[in-house]
Amino acid sequence: MSGCPGSRTMDFSEKTAQEGSETGKRPSQLRQWPIQMHLVSPQAPYFQGKDILLAADCTAFALGDFHKDYLKGKSIGIACPKLDSDQEVYTEKIKALIDDAKINTLTVMIMQVPCCFGLAQIAKEGAEKASRKIPIKQVVVGLEGNILSEEWI
Amino acid sequence: MENVLNKEIKKIIDSCPEVGRILDEYGIGCVPCSVGSCLLKDVVGIHNLDPEKEATLMYRIEKAIYPDRNVAKPVIDATKKAAPKKITYSPPVKKLVDEHVLIKRLLALIPTIADYIETSMKVDKDLVLRCVDFIRTYADKYHHMKEEDILFKYVDEKAEIIQVMYKDHDTGRGYIRQVVEGAEKGNKAQIKQNMLAYRELLTQHIKKEDEILYPWIDRQLSTTQVGEMFRRCNEADASVGEELPKKYEKFIADLEEKFLQEVVK
Ligand code: SF4
Ligand SMILES: [Fe+2]
Ligand SMILES: [Fe+2]
Repeated sequence: MSGCPGSRTMDFSEKTAQEGSETGKRPSQLRQWPIQMHLVSPQAPYFQGKDILLAADCTAFALGDFHKDYLKGKSIGIACPKLDSDQEVYTEKIKALIDDAKINTLTVMIMQVPCCFGLAQIAKEGAEKASRKIPIKQVVVGLEGNILSEEWI
Repeated sequence: MENVLNKEIKKIIDSCPEVGRILDEYGIGCVPCSVGSCLLKDVVGIHNLDPEKEATLMYRIEKAIYPDRNVAKPVIDATKKAAPKKITYSPPVKKLVDEHVLIKRLLALIPTIADYIETSMKVDKDLVLRCVDFIRTYADKYHHMKEEDILFKYVDEKAEIIQVMYKDHDTGRGYIRQVVEGAEKGNKAQIKQNMLAYRELLTQHIKKEDEILYPWIDRQLSTTQVGEMFRRCNEADASVGEELPKKYEKFIADLEEKFLQEVVK
């Protein structure tokens, strides 16, 4: 098989029902708008001193419990490191979030495909430019919505 | 088994020494522990064994205590080899692990220094007091205080394992007071004995922290707490100034130069 693994077609529709419950309503954990990294401003009140989730666009769709397990209690910015333009702006915004908004931590959530790691790279570059230091965590999500790794970087 | 889980480990080992031996095989060093009032269930929980290992361990302990009982042997899938566990620390805890490295470098030099003190004509009081200054300022004030004032506050301080850590810090301070007294009186034996005792204590203490306590605390911390602890540790470091760790790194490097060369000579 050739071509970009990030856009390779795969079909999991045969996957049998897995453990988990469908009962009960899951409220949204989103507490802000906007969320896209080009649209958000690091000065927004919802970023100040907070724990931030920088999520690759696809992660929220892949993960069954994105809201409950990862978005809850955090403010968010989303981006796609493969298709978005002007990504230097992202690096600058990460820097501003760390230095000006004085965020508490940054969790970068990406898909397992190689091109998605670009988002972790953007986060690292932004953090290196910043004068403050904060803990940064990387979470890698598998194509079938499983967590492949979760570690401080 | 239930009631055994809620018993103090020291009492279990006293009445059945075999249990101590089994725990030791799994790298759980309760036998030499000074306190030993942890409950068996906490002892096993804190060590975070993989489920299969834990099941086998519990089976063997129960068999050792009640040899006549009919205990079901856990079924182990031998094809599934547990990946060796690599410890990853959160950034603030990693910083504390890194500080242990400098302390361990002094511990490594202590036998040589103690021999030197013993064999020299006159006690090198200045050398002893400079080592004491490293221990009191870097190991105790700079490092232990972050543990006591920040890290330990994130878990139940009444937990036995935390009490053991406090006790170790205190015992260490006692040894160092003895070292100072020995230096004042020119008592070589007193200096040597207490320096070696400090080395033994801190070696075990740091091993417990790196391998057991810190990972156990890390597992309980939320992301928010990790960020907050990171900030508080940085503030504590900033309050003593960045010169302090540099000064003591140089002190250890100089000491190594002096004493490691002695050995080569
Ligand atoms: S780079 Fe990441 S976010 Fe963008 S399309 Fe690929 S998987 Fe999705
Ligand atoms: Fe300690
Ligand atoms: Fe320590």
